[in-house]
Amino acid sequence: MPDSPRIEIDPQSSVPVFRQISDRIRILLVEGRLAPGTALPSVRRLAMELGVHFNTVAEAYRQLATEGWLELKHGRTAVVINRSVAEVTNRDWSEGFRMRVRALVAQIRSEGVSAKALAEELHSLAGEVTRP
Amino acid sequence: MRLFVLLFNAFIGATFFAMPNLTRPGLLFAVPVPAGFREGPDGRRAIRVFRLIVGPVVLVAMCVSLLAPLNAVGLIMVGAPYGVMLAAGIAFYVQYRRLSPFAVHTAPVRCAELGTAPDRMPWFAWLGTAPFATLLAAAWYLHLNWASIPARFPVHWGADGLPNRWVERSVKGVYGPLVFGAEICAWFSVFALAGWHGSRRSRLRGVLLVAMVSAACFMGVLFGGIALIPLLKTPPWVIVFLPMVILIPGTIVLVRKFMEPGEPMEATPNECWKAGTFYCNPDDPALLVQKRLGLGYTLNFANPWSWILLSGLVLIMASGFLVLP
Repeated sequence: MPDSPRIEIDPQSSVPVFRQISDRIRILLVEGRLAPGTALPSVRRLAMELGVHFNTVAEAYRQLATEGWLELKHGRTAVVINRSVAEVTNRDWSEGFRMRVRALVAQIRSEGVSAKALAEELHSLAGEVTRP
Repeated sequence: MRLFVLLFNAFIGATFFAMPNLTRPGLLFAVPVPAGFREGPDGRRAIRVFRLIVGPVVLVAMCVSLLAPLNAVGLIMVGAPYGVMLAAGIAFYVQYRRLSPFAVHTAPVRCAELGTAPDRMPWFAWLGTAPFATLLAAAWYLHLNWASIPARFPVHWGADGLPNRWVERSVKGVYGPLVFGAEICAWFSVFALAGWHGSRRSRLRGVLLVAMVSAACFMGVLFGGIALIPLLKTPPWVIVFLPMVILIPGTIVLVRKFMEPGEPMEATPNECWKAGTFYCNPDDPALLVQKRLGLGYTLNFANPWSWILLSGLVLIMASGFLVLP
């Protein structure tokens, strides 16, 4: 039996914990490591394992459900669903995206990462993101 | 009796003397410290100061156990461990305060699996029913041999080994210890379930379950044995020594299991530990977390179920006045 995917959070980070949880799960969803039909751990169990409040995990699940990734059952368990999103063809989306990536790139560059290494990493990541 | 008190105090003293070592690697006086700190000058000094306080108190307790008059042995048996415990508690707290500035964050990154595999209890959890079967068997045996139970039998013995309290043959007098034993076993069973379902997944959670099931089995055998004393004429020293013979090796095995390397320390925020002993974190849904003082698990006192569990134990102890002869 293959190992279940894992998520990591850093409670000391400035990013709110509920966002860290939803971000990590979204990565697994986009990469296809959580396929439609997969059940996620109950809010209670995941909160227990991460040592965070129930509401923090429930908020992360609600966020992903709003985005169409999960179906929440009785507000406690969550199942991955087939998410169909029409491909965006115009370039309106790119303005907001570009701003976010530029902010991120600036932050990483300010930490001393070279432009070449960053470009290679972004290129590699783009290849990994295969699921719409 | 004097020999027993001496051995008992020696065991208690040795346990407290070894306290700085009876903990998870990475902890010293309940403070999470960097690797190698224990062997460094500050770590060695803290251990030395602790032992300089506890050692003489243990020696005094041993001397008093050896030299005190026989009629004071009972008092010493109760008082000496408390004296050692008090000295160790004070010495521990002083070192805890001194080492707190060296504390590091335990596992700043927390991980969790997203699997939904059923969280089944191991097979040995079924052994939790054994103490109830033992108590029922004892009750059945007493019922079958009711006529053979003496009309009056001893239920309490003094430090000199002679009985000093007697009861008449009655339902309460004969079955009382079994009822009380069943209450205690039920509490251990509930605690075992709470430990399994109310703590984070780890190898040590299984060790906790073993400890709780073993404790319930031990209580079942102990109270079953106590209830059969009037019928089997068991000498009281058997009831005193037998638990030690089982408890000491059992404790050593569990301590070794808890100290086995390989399991990362549980991530609990330092600021949620009061005096390194009491965990109180309302944001943590866990009912039981790994201890920082000593080995094993402790309750999250911010979880209301902790207080319900503790209240249950207090009620059981209080019920002793009603059900015990």
